[in-house]
Amino acid sequence: MTSIPISDVSKGAKLIFDNYPWLVVEVNFVKPGKGNAFYKTRVKNLITGNVLEKTIRGGEKVETADVADTDMTYLYSDANGLVFMNQTDFEQLTVPAKVIGDSKDFLLENMECQVTLWNGEPIQIRLPNTVTLEIEYTEPAVKGDTQSRVMKPATLKGTGASIPVPIFCAIGDKIMINTETREFKGRTDK
Amino acid sequence: MTGPVVRSSGRPVVWRPRASVETLRARSAIVDRVRRFFADREVLEVDPPLLQPGANLDHGVTPMRVGDHYLPTSPEHALKRLVAAYRQDVWTLAPAFRAGERGMRHQPEFRMIEWYRLGWDDVRLADETVALLHEITGLPGPIEHLAWRDAWTRAGLDPDAVQAADGFSREERLDLLLTERVEPLLGRSCWTILTDYPASGAAQARLRTDDAGRAVAARFELYRDGIELANGYHECCDAAELRARHQAELPLHPGCSLDESFHACLAEGFPDCAGVALGFDRAVMLALGLPDLASTMV
Repeated sequence: MTSIPISDVSKGAKLIFDNYPWLVVEVNFVKPGKGNAFYKTRVKNLITGNVLEKTIRGGEKVETADVADTDMTYLYSDANGLVFMNQTDFEQLTVPAKVIGDSKDFLLENMECQVTLWNGEPIQIRLPNTVTLEIEYTEPAVKGDTQSRVMKPATLKGTGASIPVPIFCAIGDKIMINTETREFKGRTDK
Repeated sequence: MTGPVVRSSGRPVVWRPRASVETLRARSAIVDRVRRFFADREVLEVDPPLLQPGANLDHGVTPMRVGDHYLPTSPEHALKRLVAAYRQDVWTLAPAFRAGERGMRHQPEFRMIEWYRLGWDDVRLADETVALLHEITGLPGPIEHLAWRDAWTRAGLDPDAVQAADGFSREERLDLLLTERVEPLLGRSCWTILTDYPASGAAQARLRTDDAGRAVAARFELYRDGIELANGYHECCDAAELRARHQAELPLHPGCSLDESFHACLAEGFPDCAGVALGFDRAVMLALGLPDLASTMV
């Protein structure tokens, strides 16, 4: 455990409060001319995603969280969870399925992800912003209408997840998906 | 050209001045205008020493120590010694140092304009402070006089009803509410002169009685756009009273000692006067529309 003065904390720092790791999103120093100093922070819980405002007295110390982002390749899943491999030292790590949450809908083998470790334990998996998956099944395409905003469901190959796609998409199309918004971004030849 | 110089820790060495050269030219022109302002009014410019034998003891303000001396948190002590000795209106643009203050509107080292007017009271000096800020910033706007208590009412708050909460003492909660709720409403399209501070916040001001018969401090603060720019007093001339206030403050400043040269000058009879300190960098920030204090500084 490492403590640092709150005055040394800047945006992007990772701290521990209430047994959770938090990312400092914003920090402001406030003080009346002849009064007490405070740091008003906005922090994001790295596990639950909750954001809250936290006011800390000037002069107080805070505990830093040993949090690091590591680039890892997804290998396969088994009964214990999802198995990733560290691209630097080739060590394997099993991540409980609940850590990845809904993002597993777009996770394919050999995909390069960012795994956030807290005290060596995985707490967050970030997929690439855009991923390419193949449509395994969808209703027949409506030809010619490539500007349509009318959507239909499509099942994705490899994950079985379903997302809305424009009606011109067909089985076998490779489509780009924004993993944050879960939205169709376009078709691709790759 | 080689790349940036990097420390052994891997962090780059920051050497570039924070202010642009255009800002520095504008700041220099402002200094010229300030000098003319005081010359026109026959207030004497002085250079106070930066090493003080004892500390300024203001609530919530932490002095820095250098060897056997303290750096001034404001030029107040040196200027008051001059006022006491020569019965002369004096002003300075001098560095001030406050430990642990760093943010958008705070820096541990900054500059203050401070001046004293013999025979004046806080009301008259507040008007002159607005005149100087008008000269510095060019900002127009009417002057609003607002009692401290009424500023809280404007924010929908009753300071007497504030209680300790969320692990913060009552005093801390008052400070937090002041910065969060009260100050942002001050100085909107005008110069707000906040007056009639509670007696507990008198600092170096004398006490008087307000219209409701309450003891209030003859202290004012000046706000523009929610930012505090100046703090002034109709000075307390009672040496025993000021020594008692500083003695009471002393336990809150570990490692600090009273500035006996300051208290000695008061004890020999301090003239009736008003004094004010103005955050010069904040005024420059306001004048030039800059986003933070650091971007006015070298």
